[in-house]
Amino acid sequence: METNSPEAFNMNPKKFLLWLFVVTIIMFFASLTSAYLVRSSDGDWLHFDLPSMFWISSGVIILSSLTMQLAYNAAAKNEFEKIKIYTIATLLLGIIFLYLQVKGWGQLYANKIYLGGKYSNPAGSFVYVLSLMHGFHLITGIIYLIIILLSAFKQSIHSGRILQIELCTTYWHFLDLLWIYLFVFLQLNN
Amino acid sequence: MNSILIFVSVSLILAILFLIFRIGILTNVLKGKSDQQVGSANTINAFLFVVVFVLGIIGFYLSFVHSSKYFLGEPASQHGVETDRLFWIIMSVLTLAFLVTNTMLYIFPFVYRYKEGKRALFYPDNHFIERIWTIIPAIVMTGFVYFGWLVWSDIMKPASDKAEVIEVMAKQFAWQVRYPGVSDNKLGAYHFRKIDATNEFGIDFNDEKSFDDFLPTELYLPKGKEVLLEIRARDVIHSVFLPHFRVKMDAVPGMPTKFRFVPTITTKEMRVKNGNPNFNYELVCTEICGRGHYAMRFPVVVVEQAEYDEWKKKQTPWAQLNAEYVAQKTTKELKEKYLKLNGLPVVAQPEMDSVKVDSTSNNLQALSVK
Amino acid sequence: MASVDTLHVGSVSHGHDHDHDHDHDDLPWIRKYVFSEDHKYIAKQYLISGILWAVLGGLFSLIFRLQLGFPNADLTWLKPILGEWIQNGKLDPEFYLAMVTMHGTIMVFFVLTAGLSGTFSNFLIPLQIGARDMASGFLNMLSYWFFFASSVVMLISVFLKTGPASGGWVIYPPLSALPQAVTGSGMGMTLWLGAMALFIVSTLLGGLNYVTTVINLRTKGMTFSRLPLTIWAFFITAIIGLLSFPVLFAAALLLIFDRSLGTSFFLSEIYIGGEALHHEGGSPILFQHLFWFLGHPEVYIVLLPALGITSEIVATNSRKPIFGYKAMVFSIVAIAFLSFIVWAHHMFVTGMNPFLGTIFMVLTLIIAVPSAVKAFNYIATIWRGNIVFTPAMLFSIGLVSFFISGGLTGIVLGNAATDIQLHDTYFVVAHFHIVMGSASFFGMLAGVYHWFPKMFGRMLDDRLGYIHFWLTFIGVYLVFFPMHYMGIAGFPRRYYSWTGFDAFSYTGETNELGEAIIKFADMNQLITIAAIITFVAQFLFIFNFFYSMYRGRVASANPWKSNTLEWTTPVNPGHGNWPGEIPQVYRWPYDYSKPGAKDDFIPQTVPFSETPESNLPNEVDE
Ligand code: HEM
Ligand SMILES: [Cu+2]
Ligand SMILES: [Cu+2]
Repeated sequence: METNSPEAFNMNPKKFLLWLFVVTIIMFFASLTSAYLVRSSDGDWLHFDLPSMFWISSGVIILSSLTMQLAYNAAAKNEFEKIKIYTIATLLLGIIFLYLQVKGWGQLYANKIYLGGKYSNPAGSFVYVLSLMHGFHLITGIIYLIIILLSAFKQSIHSGRILQIELCTTYWHFLDLLWIYLFVFLQLNN
Repeated sequence: MNSILIFVSVSLILAILFLIFRIGILTNVLKGKSDQQVGSANTINAFLFVVVFVLGIIGFYLSFVHSSKYFLGEPASQHGVETDRLFWIIMSVLTLAFLVTNTMLYIFPFVYRYKEGKRALFYPDNHFIERIWTIIPAIVMTGFVYFGWLVWSDIMKPASDKAEVIEVMAKQFAWQVRYPGVSDNKLGAYHFRKIDATNEFGIDFNDEKSFDDFLPTELYLPKGKEVLLEIRARDVIHSVFLPHFRVKMDAVPGMPTKFRFVPTITTKEMRVKNGNPNFNYELVCTEICGRGHYAMRFPVVVVEQAEYDEWKKKQTPWAQLNAEYVAQKTTKELKEKYLKLNGLPVVAQPEMDSVKVDSTSNNLQALSVK
Repeated sequence: MASVDTLHVGSVSHGHDHDHDHDHDDLPWIRKYVFSEDHKYIAKQYLISGILWAVLGGLFSLIFRLQLGFPNADLTWLKPILGEWIQNGKLDPEFYLAMVTMHGTIMVFFVLTAGLSGTFSNFLIPLQIGARDMASGFLNMLSYWFFFASSVVMLISVFLKTGPASGGWVIYPPLSALPQAVTGSGMGMTLWLGAMALFIVSTLLGGLNYVTTVINLRTKGMTFSRLPLTIWAFFITAIIGLLSFPVLFAAALLLIFDRSLGTSFFLSEIYIGGEALHHEGGSPILFQHLFWFLGHPEVYIVLLPALGITSEIVATNSRKPIFGYKAMVFSIVAIAFLSFIVWAHHMFVTGMNPFLGTIFMVLTLIIAVPSAVKAFNYIATIWRGNIVFTPAMLFSIGLVSFFISGGLTGIVLGNAATDIQLHDTYFVVAHFHIVMGSASFFGMLAGVYHWFPKMFGRMLDDRLGYIHFWLTFIGVYLVFFPMHYMGIAGFPRRYYSWTGFDAFSYTGETNELGEAIIKFADMNQLITIAAIITFVAQFLFIFNFFYSMYRGRVASANPWKSNTLEWTTPVNPGHGNWPGEIPQVYRWPYDYSKPGAKDDFIPQTVPFSETPESNLPNEVDE
């Protein structure tokens, strides 16, 4: 029980690790978005509409946050079936989100907004890079969800062992918020 | 020669160190305290701090005297006098701080070396002293910032309309300069897509102002007049460095920069001051730019205003030296104007053999007027 | 077991029990000797990797120093090693740049970030705060192996036919983005970026662990105001790393996009190799902002742990409390904070807005104040001490000397007006080698000398240590001090040779043979010779290190009579560090030579109730 000395900060170390990890991700996206601001203030900036898919995908990811929370609540109440159902729902919504993002890039492309090459503009490239990087982090979230799902099937998630799903929920909400931030940011600055 | 001497003395020091510490051990063993933590080596180390410090200060002094004759000497620009003065003032203060702190740092180890039975002073804090040595550096820094700010903002203030504008373009691995011609005294436009083997600047000949621009092989500067360098690069980042003028500014592709200064000493005057009849000012690159980074030299000449004007008049515009090329690149309306300007027959196209053209060579030396 | 929180703690300490009670010995050897999760073992892995890299980085510097010191020498004898890079007995100028770049990258990141923080944060954090191990041994292990993978990738890049990255350690685009500009920007740069991406992951994993461990796993009584200054330094360093490395990651990512996917974040209006590239609208300066947002904090990531180590060693060996503990902590925090808002002092002459230049000058010079406080506090600590010159102590005093000498020149570089002339000259090379390179390097060596007994249960040989110190100390000054003069004379850095310029070669003097004397040729020679000697002197240390590991005198439990917790473990601590209970802490770590006390040190584990004779009025156990 040495870990619980009164001087120590009263938060589970794993939870704390996750929060620190979230901070590093925030720094990463903060630097990308500041780069965006600095670059856009230099002028020669292309203005265009974000793909309509991004609206739908934003809805989907918000929904997935909801199901994630429900899964967590179910775990807290030991409702084993619900844990599985809601986790699967979150997982599916996550995958749909990624699919919609890819569709969104298709729309951008059809709109002649390219990632790179002769006809590209940093304004467009940034949209690709930001959503790509977010998508990449979301994939790590999905992997985490799969692990949760496996545990759920092994009945090893319940009110007594809730840390794992709690961390996953935090992370997933964070990814959700992160996307909303990016989306709003791009909306406002485009 | 020098180096052999150094080598020998270093080997000597090495040998002496070995001896000293060996002897230290031996006396310890004799006194039967070989496994005691603090032996006579302690005193030797303490003493060495003093020795090294004294030798170091002497070395510092001698090396400074030896090196200072190789410094760049009197700045050849107005602001250079200011920055040099600021530099040496700050350096004097720093040297003083260096001497004071280092004296303590090297003398204390000797004075307070371990002694059997002695107790160190239990002295964890003294807010008064700490406040003092926070406030003093803070005041000194404030002074530095203030004077730095004065000089810096003076250097960086925008150029006046009367400034002599000269374009400096960097590429791997050479400098090129472009002067606005004598007839309109304005630089023509450029675009990087217009660059090719002949037109290395990417000068836009749809812009009339380009017609009289000339590209000499030396950077001529008038003494006593404000000069504005418009700096750009066409491939990677380079940096314009005029050491004698205390001028430095990066040359960045896609983001033109500038530097304004006033040359104050002509090349001729500098030759006399230096006692070096072959002295020349130079333009140097100070941003890593590839394999030839160390070889981007461009000669710089400072002359009196009158001589400068004279020199400018004698230069042939690039467009005239490359008439055939320009004729191809310019628009129809401008073409006539251009030909007239150069006193050429308007109908005599497209051959224009009246003008000697060296369109294959991209070597500027070949184009310049001797 | 009702509340959620107790359960967490229960499950965590369960993990621990698993690790040390079921003893280490049943682990398969690969988990014990390769993928070990024991922080002490990982620290040693970092240390030995760091030493190997330091040798390589040093060797690279000798290669280019040979060119600078003896520009006319015939280097054909290097051909068997360097192959194509030697042509007609001369070093290839592009290879020169490659060596400079690799040297810088290796020294800054692999030696002084991984080798220094990786070693000592790992080793000391759990031992000095009283924890069984890091918060997550697994992430800690991963952190090392990411570093290892990064090392392998970087090492491979050195052997490429087109050469490793050659654009300087700051990898400014467009140079680093265009293989047409320098061959090292092809595959070499790709591997550089790959290696750095792995490196950043490693640093972040490490940093996450260090911060979490310090916050969560301190033993009973170990309040923040009782933390040794080493821990403070590692803790703050880790936080700086967590906040700044992601930014480098972002910069590297955008650069990768520019290089491989044709985006134009940093590239614009480029004509190279006879063609105009399609890129338009990018900003090379933007990269510099992103890079230096990491780059400047990085110099403190390198330096702060060394300062922390020094604080500990100077206090212990002066047999005195560190002077101004609070001020020391405060200045670390202040330096860390300020380090994030001074980055553009590296960019005064990039054509930035002059007003911004002024702001950054002000902020930069503010850093000088907490730095000065630190220097004065060290000096005040040795004042009226009873100083024992262990090799660790010698290196610590050396560090303070470098910290002062190099820090002072930072003041003139941080001044925008004077930096115009000094930027990218040898003055800068002199400055950062002394204050960042040598100071941190000395901190690392001091740390090894001091904690070697804890690491390997044996003592390093003192005499070799003394000789190592004096040679290195004098050597470093001989190598780097003269560079100031060359910088004042305007010599640009990253130059293969200066003789192409009158300004950097003509002296008007001739020697006895009537040959022209070249500016600073003698000094460059001196530097190179001193560098070779200094480099060779390091083998005294390396020999000492490996020899003493097996043959050194067996250490006692507390060889330096130190107060901190690590010396309360057995001489060879097992996994879990303390065989029994973790000791409780009752006081700060600097009760040296307390008036009235029997010994001149009182370990942190001694309660005030046992030392009535020396307690100050307010000192009672809670
Ligand atoms: C064996 C001792 C060392 C010697 C002789 C040495 C020498 C040099 C020299 C002469 C340069 C400038 C080369 C040029 O500009 O052409 C250089 C660059 C550099 N060194 Fe060292 N150095 C040594 C140790 C270190 C250490 C310990 C560090 C750790 C911080 C370090 C970091 C750097 C960096 C960052 C650069 C800049 C690389 C660049 O320009 O991209 N060096 N070194
Ligand atoms: Cu260059
Ligand atoms: Cu900096």
